Amino acid sequence: MRLSPAWTGILRALGLGLLLSSLTVPVYPQAQAADLIRYEASHPAMGTVFTVVAYGADRDYLAEVVDEVFDEIDGLDAQMSNYQPTSEISRINREAAREPVLVEPRLFQLIQDSVRTGAETGGAFDITVGPLMKAWGFFRGQDRLPAPFEIAVTLKRIGYQHLQLNAADRTIRFERPGMEIDLGGIAKGYAVDQAVEILRSRGIQSALVSSGTSTLYALGSPPGERGWRVSLRSPYDAKKAADVVLLQDFSLSTSGNYEKFFRIGGKLYCHIMDPHTGRPVENMLATAVLAARATETDALSTAFFVMGVAGSRKYMATHPNLVGILYRPTAATGVFKRVVLRSPSYTLPPDALVEIKGQRMAPSPAAKP
Amino acid sequence: MENEQDVSRREFLKTTAAVAALSALPGVGAPALLATPSPNEVVNYGFIGTGTQGCFLLKNLSTIPQGRCICTCDIYPPNLKKGVETIGGNPQTYDDYRRLLERKDVDAVMIATPLNLHAQMVIDALNAGKHVFVEKCMFFKEEEGEKIRQAAEAHPQQVLQVGLQRRSSLLYQVAIKMIRRGALGKISFVRTQWHRNSNWRRPVSDPKLERLINWRMYREYSGGMMAELASHQLDVANWAIGDTPVAVMGTGGIDYWKDGRETNDNVQVIYEYPGGQKLVFTGVLSNAHYDFSEQIMGDQGTIEITIGKGVYFRETVARVTTGAAKENWWAGATVTKEATQEGVPIFPETRRMDQVGLVDREIYHARRWLATLGMYEYKEPHDPVWQELYNYLASIREGKPIAAPFHLGADDAYAVIYANRAIDTGQKVFWPKKKSLTGELLSPNPGTTPRACEG
Repeated sequence: MRLSPAWTGILRALGLGLLLSSLTVPVYPQAQAADLIRYEASHPAMGTVFTVVAYGADRDYLAEVVDEVFDEIDGLDAQMSNYQPTSEISRINREAAREPVLVEPRLFQLIQDSVRTGAETGGAFDITVGPLMKAWGFFRGQDRLPAPFEIAVTLKRIGYQHLQLNAADRTIRFERPGMEIDLGGIAKGYAVDQAVEILRSRGIQSALVSSGTSTLYALGSPPGERGWRVSLRSPYDAKKAADVVLLQDFSLSTSGNYEKFFRIGGKLYCHIMDPHTGRPVENMLATAVLAARATETDALSTAFFVMGVAGSRKYMATHPNLVGILYRPTAATGVFKRVVLRSPSYTLPPDALVEIKGQRMAPSPAAKP
Repeated sequence: MENEQDVSRREFLKTTAAVAALSALPGVGAPALLATPSPNEVVNYGFIGTGTQGCFLLKNLSTIPQGRCICTCDIYPPNLKKGVETIGGNPQTYDDYRRLLERKDVDAVMIATPLNLHAQMVIDALNAGKHVFVEKCMFFKEEEGEKIRQAAEAHPQQVLQVGLQRRSSLLYQVAIKMIRRGALGKISFVRTQWHRNSNWRRPVSDPKLERLINWRMYREYSGGMMAELASHQLDVANWAIGDTPVAVMGTGGIDYWKDGRETNDNVQVIYEYPGGQKLVFTGVLSNAHYDFSEQIMGDQGTIEITIGKGVYFRETVARVTTGAAKENWWAGATVTKEATQEGVPIFPETRRMDQVGLVDREIYHARRWLATLGMYEYKEPHDPVWQELYNYLASIREGKPIAAPFHLGADDAYAVIYANRAIDTGQKVFWPKKKSLTGELLSPNPGTTPRACEG
């Protein structure tokens, strides 16, 4: 008899792996779940607070593993932060316009993947968009409205196509002066993926890793339950849930105009830039993307926000195993409409679970809005 | 079989390193001229010990093109694999460091193994004709220091650098310059701490691996918190005071993490210096509030400093002059207490102000002013670990003075060893009678002159 993933996870966490092969009757959940320890810890990094919840048998072991996770996240922050002059990204931004700069292997891979995503989203996701965000005052938090001339000049400094990556040398060069790399749209997702790697390699079967609340990964399920339960906040009210999602071995990222924004003249300007117009995106309230990897969901939640429903659907036609929820404003104040999209080619990885509002996401054509 | 090009390249690297190595011996200043500087040569190095610290160094090294990692060595296969993945470039791997040292195409090695293995590896690497970078502490047992010194003197053309990265930090260098110029007055007291709230262990799923992975817990391999944490800060105190201690006393215990470890989970030590200065170090594993930093206190001012941040405070002192002064007083607005006691951030700006143009000078002063208002933070351009590795390669290629040479590593290691002895015996431990730079024996409390070759 094959045990469901939830039971498999629980038994493994209890170190009773040997029993799995010989078990012929189900083990009652209540006794086992009560023996497990739930360990939760938070840690500031990358301008937000990372939280890890992990289930296991030994408190000290869980603490040591979670310490390891936070050490890794700190290392990634020190490497990728645009706010620290000593980071590798800051050094690249200082030097790559002058000459090719040697890049650390995993960072090089991440930049390559980001450039590819840039190309495949028609530039909706673009790691060179930093100068545009700065023109709108988002780097150090001063609201401002740039003049059209300023936008035009800034647009000359952005564009993932102008990054020269040499895989043989593992170097990067900027084709234009004034370019900058900003990994803010993908670094947290990447950090969450590395965190999950560490948890898995240390034998943790049930955990949740969250970066602030904008990206999270559900590893396994909580003991005795089917999936981690996540409420997606309403775009207009942080205390209300627009959707409730159940996840197991899957990632979720959200982007919203409520995260960083300012108002001038009664109009809301959000921090997500449309690199084609040089202006903040309008007519989109929030997006949520679900996929197998947090690096992917983090980047795509931004890209879908920029691309809108039509563009997102087009992207999903050639990229399997994605689910997207797009929330848009209506003419009525405080009322939003939502559309759920999924890739036409949609098969979940083994043991993964994705349910939205009690409905299991089964392979099917994209839903109509 | 080495070809002609390899031989001449190796000789070249040794020649430039000879000049660098000379600066490591006490009493010799920085070299005035280099023989044949060739900054285009890439240093081929082997990395020994690719565990947690090793991979951290390798991650930094992967962004320094002046060196190329052609081989790595570790006895634990998962760590060996992690090291290869971290550095990239497909280095050859070994599980026996002696075979790595046999390679003629390896110019230099980096050593990041457990502490008890350092000394023999350093000696073997020097004898094999390699330049050596070794993580702190340089050695584990007292008698190893002399053996390393002899090996270093027998190979003066090879660089020997210790992993004391604060010596490579622009921020710390500026702080020390301020001290030398009198910003703190007469230093009487240094306090440093390294506090954490964790059991300081790495996760181990198989008990058989416990001593291998958590070697820091066991006296066979580890000098405990003094060696692993305090040693950086003891070196900073030596650097600031400009001397090394004459005595140390201390206490410690396993009072919180009673999990079978052998090294103390808390240590408190006091060092005495020849001029009467004192250094206090506390290491704690059950409270992280005070984190880690050094506080250097003199009668005119204080510096609080740690990696990435340093602040200078003036003492409120009476101003005493001789002779008649023209009295010219102002009446008006009140100056608040906060305004007079603001700390001034330390700037990693080392260009001499009389050597830069007017505009740069103005910008420099403007940044200083903005920083005191909390509107501008001036930081160093490179992480000190990245910088110390860059410096190591630059010493080999260009003869740049060694950032943390033998005598600093030795001073630091002795300070750790004597502190541990004081804690274990409950007795005050005295340094052996010190010799001056010219070899004469000094009594325990002279006004010993600071060492040459400051960082």
